[in-house]
Amino acid sequence: MHLPLPSRFLPALVAATLLLSGCYSREDMKGETGTAETAAAVEKPAVTETPAAAETAAAALAQPLAQANVFLEVSGSMEGFMPKTGADAQNTQFQQHVAQFLSDLNRSPAVRQKTFYRIKEKPYRDSYPQLSQTVRGGIREAASSTSIPAILDTLVSHYYQPGAVSVLISDFIYAPPRTGDQAYVKTDITDALNSASRPDLAVSVYGFTSDFKGNFYPALKTGAKRINNCCDTPIPYYFWVIGPADAVRQFDAALLTKQPGKQTHFGVKYATPASSLLNKFQNKGAWYYGDAGASKRAAGATYHTVAVQEVSAAQPVEFVLGLNLKDLPASFRDVAYLKQNLQLSGQDTDAKVVDVFAANAQTQNSSGPESHYSHFVKVRLTQQPRAARPLQLLLNHRRPAWVGQWTTQNDSNINQVGAKTFALSSLLDGVAAVTTDEQEAPVFSIPLMLQRGE
Amino acid sequence: MKSLFRFLYELIGTPQPPSEIPVYRDVIFPNIGLINIGVSLALVLIFYYLINRAMGVATFNKTGNWALFLILNALIAFGVVVWQTNAQAVASHSYIYWLATFNAFYGLLWFFLFSLILKGGSRNASTTPF
Repeated sequence: MHLPLPSRFLPALVAATLLLSGCYSREDMKGETGTAETAAAVEKPAVTETPAAAETAAAALAQPLAQANVFLEVSGSMEGFMPKTGADAQNTQFQQHVAQFLSDLNRSPAVRQKTFYRIKEKPYRDSYPQLSQTVRGGIREAASSTSIPAILDTLVSHYYQPGAVSVLISDFIYAPPRTGDQAYVKTDITDALNSASRPDLAVSVYGFTSDFKGNFYPALKTGAKRINNCCDTPIPYYFWVIGPADAVRQFDAALLTKQPGKQTHFGVKYATPASSLLNKFQNKGAWYYGDAGASKRAAGATYHTVAVQEVSAAQPVEFVLGLNLKDLPASFRDVAYLKQNLQLSGQDTDAKVVDVFAANAQTQNSSGPESHYSHFVKVRLTQQPRAARPLQLLLNHRRPAWVGQWTTQNDSNINQVGAKTFALSSLLDGVAAVTTDEQEAPVFSIPLMLQRGE
Repeated sequence: MKSLFRFLYELIGTPQPPSEIPVYRDVIFPNIGLINIGVSLALVLIFYYLINRAMGVATFNKTGNWALFLILNALIAFGVVVWQTNAQAVASHSYIYWLATFNAFYGLLWFFLFSLILKGGSRNASTTPF
């Protein structure tokens, strides 16, 4: 053992260096993932990056719709919405609103080609200025009443193209011609929409009310055929956006998100919203991200696995799931709707949604990941999962309450009935039958995983 | 390796707050464990082989001198945990200091074990601490 000194220390130095360089740090791990990104993506699908989903949605929006056809019904029943303006006459809310909508649509870059039609016994092509003038100046020569099923039939048969939507503006007052056939409202609508068998047909319905100055023609002909100088009550009118599901979704998002009225959607499919568990936002109890690679805490990563370390009735686990619902229509972003219709489905667990709330200034200005989400769902559980169990968060598709409130079975004395439409819910039942087989799929479903902490 | 350090450090209970468990298990435990062993080994080598053999210092081989290195090692082990938890930006919690104390205890243990194994090769301190 008479080696020179450095070489005698060499093994020890090497060992120490190896030990020290073996340390893990987040920078190292980032480097590793950088080189072996594909491997990581294959091995660890649990941790996903949010931008991917957002990008596809943005790309879909960036590509404008090929065409939008606007159909304005100009039958006699619509005259009250568009009275001929005299010197003292004020225009109606309908006129203001529809004129503004037409103008917005006409200059919107979200639709490449816009065509405008007046609906009489059949659609007549108009220019934007002509149609706008009809809305603002009143209907010059009213057409005889046009039946809603006939119009719908025409729209789905002749104006239905990929990337194109038809917007029908009407009061949607319809009753089958024979008194006593009211039970067939739904059937007539279903048959009309089904006439061309469009497999991906979707319909978005927006309801508004306006003051009404003219003759009101009730659907129900049992009483007076016509109520002159109507009405003391506002009268509903509707935009129906009809087309392939993707086109309708895109049109809704581009032009109808800021509409003040009521809405409901049939057959429209939405991309699964971006979501992530949040482990430092109103969480309680002993749980952590069970996703592979959670320790890397990569920026923008999302997590969907809850590993429950310890839980009991006295010490429940509460976790918050952040959702970004900005691409959904307003009716699905409504907190009251979400509270009623968000549902957890899983086996062997008592996990329940205990609260749903929207982002506020505090969450938006936070430096944490909660700033990326528009809504938060708080889930509580008190039982340890027996093993890894899938858990799904579903948003059920339910007919909104306003449809029932706006429906009447007798509109012959509309001034007493109020702002309601004859058999509206039957009309919409007819739509639902075609688009969804009457059983709406959930708006979205987010898969989560519940597992025991180790 | 990860499971070994996880076993060693979770003898005092699971990390707190629970939301930081993945970071502790995957990053912090292996880091502090490896650094602790490395530093203990380095200090043992310095004491027995550098000071008491290569440099031939004759007056630094008492038990007190050895104990000085032992305490120094424990302090480093404590500091390493505070530094690592800060570097990984985990949520602050008193658990960090329990872990640091526990790591200091492991520092004492490693230093003692390495001393037993390696003291025989030293010229001036082969009987330190006993």
